[in-house]
Amino acid sequence: MEGFVAHKLAEFEQGKISRRKLIETLTLAATTAYATEGAGAAEAKGLKAALINHISYTCPNFRQAADWYSKVFNLDQIGARDRDVALPFGKKGEQPYNVAAKDVPLTHLIFRTRDLNPTPAAGEAPRPKVQAVIDHVAYTVADFDREKAKVELKSLGVENVRDGGLYSLHMTDPFGYDVQISGLANNALTDG
Amino acid sequence: MERFIAGLVKDFESGKLDRREFCQTVALAAIVYGAGDAANAQATRGFKMIGINHISYSCPDYAKARDFYASVLGMESTPGKDNGKRANLMFGPEPGKGGSFIVARTAPADAKPSRAVVDHVCYTIADWDEQRVRGALKAKGLEVGGRDGSLHVYDPFGYYVQIASAEAENAFRR
Repeated sequence: MEGFVAHKLAEFEQGKISRRKLIETLTLAATTAYATEGAGAAEAKGLKAALINHISYTCPNFRQAADWYSKVFNLDQIGARDRDVALPFGKKGEQPYNVAAKDVPLTHLIFRTRDLNPTPAAGEAPRPKVQAVIDHVAYTVADFDREKAKVELKSLGVENVRDGGLYSLHMTDPFGYDVQISGLANNALTDG
Repeated sequence: MERFIAGLVKDFESGKLDRREFCQTVALAAIVYGAGDAANAQATRGFKMIGINHISYSCPDYAKARDFYASVLGMESTPGKDNGKRANLMFGPEPGKGGSFIVARTAPADAKPSRAVVDHVCYTIADWDEQRVRGALKAKGLEVGGRDGSLHVYDPFGYYVQIASAEAENAFRR
């Protein structure tokens, strides 16, 4: 970096580049070098979740659950199998909202009906006892207006619709699971 | 629509369109118009999904969960939002611009019984490199399971955490 700066400075002194060009070039070089170092540091420390890939939701009737989420959130059902189906948050080829990286796919929900405590296969260690629970999932929807959303949810037959703070609503899905919706205003800085 | 039909009438009267063409055109216009209305009506039902806002994670000790997700998946505890009982763990796009967060709380795990369960969450890692990902997880002292492109570990409370590439876990490649 120092050699590069010296070289550019020499060019400026010799009148080969203007003052403005010198400043622009050095600014770009400095910020690029910083970004590269930052990325390297992050990599050395560990991984970084780019986005939720999918949420796995298990219930007694996955088709009923999938139909409800399709209806409320306008989601297509794809790749249906005997015991599960996926609902991506958009169409094939679309990018996740505000994500530029091409190797980060749309988030999707997977609805399943299955035994959550199967007998471990031979040689496989049993799953540890789970002491945590995801007691609700909140979804960000476009153009969220709480009062209009209440009317819309009721017209869709959604049950137990109730306020969730200033920026969101809660409701209950067909299996009693707590679902929250909000706009972009509900986020890590405003929630809690 | 009215103006369009008025134009057709004028063309018909001036002989630019014969009767058959006139009728076919009006009928086609009606179909297109009706389809447009139906599409609009359908689009106004329900909501347009942007993404996961947050997941609410209840466990016996939120601090352990906070430290795990920050350390293993690079999430950031939101400044000013850790009150000793909960923390917001941010990741993805910026807050307010589509970013997600985990609300890690200390709370009874069976507080809200339902007949459904979110049994795991899978996170995408960009620029997937199998060796690097496995190495990073093992460096945290975790036992790593799974297959190429889709690995899993258990968090401090036995919750199944999946970590995957876009190639291995993609709704459109099922």
